[in-house]
Amino acid sequence: MSIRPLFAAMAVLALAGCANDPAPNEQMRLTEQAITQAKAVGATADEMPEMKLAEDKFNRAKGNMTDESFKNARMRAEQAELDARLAEAKVLTQKSEEQLNVLNTRIIRLRKQLGDAQ
Amino acid sequence: MSLKSKALGGLLLAGCASLYGCAGQHGEAALQQAGSDFQKVKEDSNVLRIAPKDVIRAGESLARADRLSTYWGSGSDVVHYAYLSQRYSEIAREHTNLVLNEERAAKLELERQRLQLALRESKLLSVQQQGKWLEEQIVALATTQTDRGLVMTLGDVLFDTGEAELKNSANRVVLKIVQFLQLNPKRVVRIEGYTDSTGGKQENLKLSRDRAQAVADVLMDLGIEDKRIQVEGYGDEYPVDVNASERGRAQNRRVEIVFSDEKGQLGAAR
Repeated sequence: MSIRPLFAAMAVLALAGCANDPAPNEQMRLTEQAITQAKAVGATADEMPEMKLAEDKFNRAKGNMTDESFKNARMRAEQAELDARLAEAKVLTQKSEEQLNVLNTRIIRLRKQLGDAQ
Repeated sequence: MSLKSKALGGLLLAGCASLYGCAGQHGEAALQQAGSDFQKVKEDSNVLRIAPKDVIRAGESLARADRLSTYWGSGSDVVHYAYLSQRYSEIAREHTNLVLNEERAAKLELERQRLQLALRESKLLSVQQQGKWLEEQIVALATTQTDRGLVMTLGDVLFDTGEAELKNSANRVVLKIVQFLQLNPKRVVRIEGYTDSTGGKQENLKLSRDRAQAVADVLMDLGIEDKRIQVEGYGDEYPVDVNASERGRAQNRRVEIVFSDEKGQLGAAR
C-alpha cells in the first residue's frame, strides 16, 4: 500500500520527462537562416503572406524558448522555416516570370522589326 | 474510494474523448488536405524530375502525421505534420515552376539572339543596298562636341509628325551608333527626346520620351545592353531654333544622343 504512491509518482515523472522536449536550438538557427535567406531575395511580410506567417511564428517560438515551452517552440519554428522557404520560392518564381515577360516582349518587338525590314 | 475514483476516472475519460474528438476532427481534415496535395505533386512528372527531395519530405511528413493520427491525444501533432507536408508539397511546386520558367527563358534567349542576328543582318543588307555607306561619314560629322560631351542629333526626318516610331531611314544612323558602342564597350549613352512647341506640354513630354525610347529599343534589339542606355524626354524645352517657323520647328523635333567619355562617365542630365 505504501509503495503505490511511489509508483504513481514515478509514472507521472516519467510522463513529464517524455513531454519535456529538449531546447530546439538547432531548429531555431535553421529557421532564422531561412528567414534571412527569404529576405535576401526580396520576400517581405507586406507582399508575401507566407513571410508574415514565418515572422509571426518565429517570434512566438522565441517567446516559447524564454518560457522553456520547448515543444511549442520547435513546432512553431519548424512551421516558420517552411513558411519562409515557401515565401522565398514564390519570390524567385515571380521573378522568373517577370524575366520571361521581358524576353517575350523583346522577341515580339524583334519579330515586328524583322517583318518591317523585309 | 472505489466509487469516487470510478467517477473521477469516468470524467477523465470523457474529457479525453471530447478533447480527442475536437483535435481528431481537425486533424482528419488537415490530413486529408495534405494527402491530396501530396498526391498531386507525386503524380506530376515535372515535379518529380525537378524537386524530388521536397516530394520525399512531403511524403515523410505525411506518413508521420498519418501514424500519429492513430494515437490518442496527438491531434495537434497530426495538424503540425500535415501542415509541414503541405508546405513541402507547395515548395516542390514552386521550385518546379521556377526551373520550368528558367528552362523556357533559356530557349527564349536563344530565340532572341537568333532574331537579333537576323535583324542586324537585314539592317546591314538594307544599308548596303541603299549604297549609302559614304553617308555614314557625314553622320559621323554630325556629332558635335559640346559642353554636355559628345552629342549626336537625330533629326525629325526619322520620325513622322506626332509619331514615336522610328522610320526605316534611321537604320544606318542607328547601326552606326551600335557599331560605335560595340567598339567602345565602356561608353554609355543618354538618349534625349525633344519636340517643337506645337501641342500641349504633357503630350510633348510624353512624345519626346517615346521617341527617345524608340531609339533606345532599337539599340537594345541590336544587342546594346539596357544598362548602357538612359532615356530622357524634355518635351519642347531647350529648342535649338525658333518655333515661329516651320523650318525652326523641324529643327526642334529631334532626338539627341549624348555619349559618355571612354570611362563611361556621362555629363549630368539637363
